[in-house]
Amino acid sequence: MTPAPTQRTVVDRIAPLADDVVSLTLRTTGGPLAPWEPGAHVDVTLPNWLTRPYSLCGDPADRERYRVAVRHDRLSRGGSEYIHRFLRPGRPLEVSAPRNHFPLLPAPRYLFLAGGIGITPVLPMLRAATAAGVPAELLYLGPSTRAMPFADSLRAEYGNRVRIVATRERGRPDLRAVAAGLGDGTLVYCCGPAPLLAAAEEAFPAGRLRMERFRPLRRESGPATAFEAVCAGSGRTVPVAAGESMLDALVHAGLRVPAGCREGVCGSCELTVLDGVPDHRDDIGAPAGRMYPCVSRARSARLVVDL
Amino acid sequence: MTRAATRPRPLGPAGVRARLGEPDAMVAAKKTDRLDAYHRRFIAHSPFLTMATADARGRADCSPRGDYPGFVKVLDDRTLAIPDRPGNKIADSFSNLAENDGVGLLFLVPGARETLRVNGRGRPTDEPDVLARMETEAKRPALAVVVEVEEVYFHCGRALIRSRLWDPATQALAGELPPVGEVFAAQTGVGIPPEVLESHLEAGYRELY
Repeated sequence: MTPAPTQRTVVDRIAPLADDVVSLTLRTTGGPLAPWEPGAHVDVTLPNWLTRPYSLCGDPADRERYRVAVRHDRLSRGGSEYIHRFLRPGRPLEVSAPRNHFPLLPAPRYLFLAGGIGITPVLPMLRAATAAGVPAELLYLGPSTRAMPFADSLRAEYGNRVRIVATRERGRPDLRAVAAGLGDGTLVYCCGPAPLLAAAEEAFPAGRLRMERFRPLRRESGPATAFEAVCAGSGRTVPVAAGESMLDALVHAGLRVPAGCREGVCGSCELTVLDGVPDHRDDIGAPAGRMYPCVSRARSARLVVDL
Repeated sequence: MTRAATRPRPLGPAGVRARLGEPDAMVAAKKTDRLDAYHRRFIAHSPFLTMATADARGRADCSPRGDYPGFVKVLDDRTLAIPDRPGNKIADSFSNLAENDGVGLLFLVPGARETLRVNGRGRPTDEPDVLARMETEAKRPALAVVVEVEEVYFHCGRALIRSRLWDPATQALAGELPPVGEVFAAQTGVGIPPEVLESHLEAGYRELY
């Protein structure tokens, strides 16, 4: 695999969208930006060396600009805090090519279920479905409408196809009742905090639900064992110790692998597996023949990757 | 090394003041007990600091701390938190803080000539909400040092200018030092070959978090 090319941009605009949420617009300083489909995200590398994934929520037809929305996390590890407090217009930023683990698949109708800042990937999906004439509804939840970005514009644009619920006043609607009223063949797209995703998993049949997580699901994994990563492209064999991630071992051996979240959510370190059995520990759901070495390991003694 | 025959003569505070002259009024004016937006921006871009502590008898110690820029978290305008990343486990700073909570910090930003000085009172914590903000590469530090700020100010850039610290050409100086394995082998005298010490140290350097 070739590392995802980075694109040169500058910060065009930072503007408040809702309580603790800003919109960040990046403008190209090279050629046109790489195209993207609704549901895609980019990794933004900040001046403080941190790389963070953000869903694109602007217009896919605009090849000059990418737009993301960022909530200031109270327990920020340095990404959202930097954007809110220190990032300034005009600052050059490197942005990865867009990746999409949350694509809009063809369906006769859609239900979009968004919690808080989880609205960002859903926004272009709703726009695309509506433009294609496919019936689509949005159920948008948040503590209060002041804390919910795009609430007013969604109401104005989509009227009663959008239901906005301030859960602090009215509680979370019964998703089982929502599921019971779904039309035939409806695909449900859900993005939001972990409790909302858990409720959606209980309410909707697995085959009709697609989800995207902000942070990894806490999971029980088997013990981590040592193995060898064989890099077919460079001919290198890198031992991976039980106590280190495959990504760290590859990077320390001098191989170039892009790294983003390092917790199996963003997908920036994706590798192609040529031989051996990967032990998938990510929250993306690795496609056949791919793996995310930041968290995933090997069930076989050797794993051959295209690197 | 043998001790110098005559020890450099000490000088009392009056003698020091007579030789230095009086400080500029501006210097005192910029000292404050609150972190303002300029201090916060400096800390948010600083990947390195030194932390000075002393025990109850005044025996002093200074240790380096480093990570990505902004690794020190500003909790509010009087409070900072510094993650304790894996080091040599000697914990001199912690044993000092247990006896004497005075702490002096010096923040550096690569390329910047001015430095930021923060003095105050330090104490260890394992508060989950503080440690959560310090998670790096999916690992949380076991401890952090919380510093209550008593005095904060920017220090002028003359020391950094004279030392040419950020001039890439000065990095050639490191090439004049012996390999660290050789130094350790000579200093510890335990008979382990320098190459073995060197590779052991390099392996340790791979586990940064």
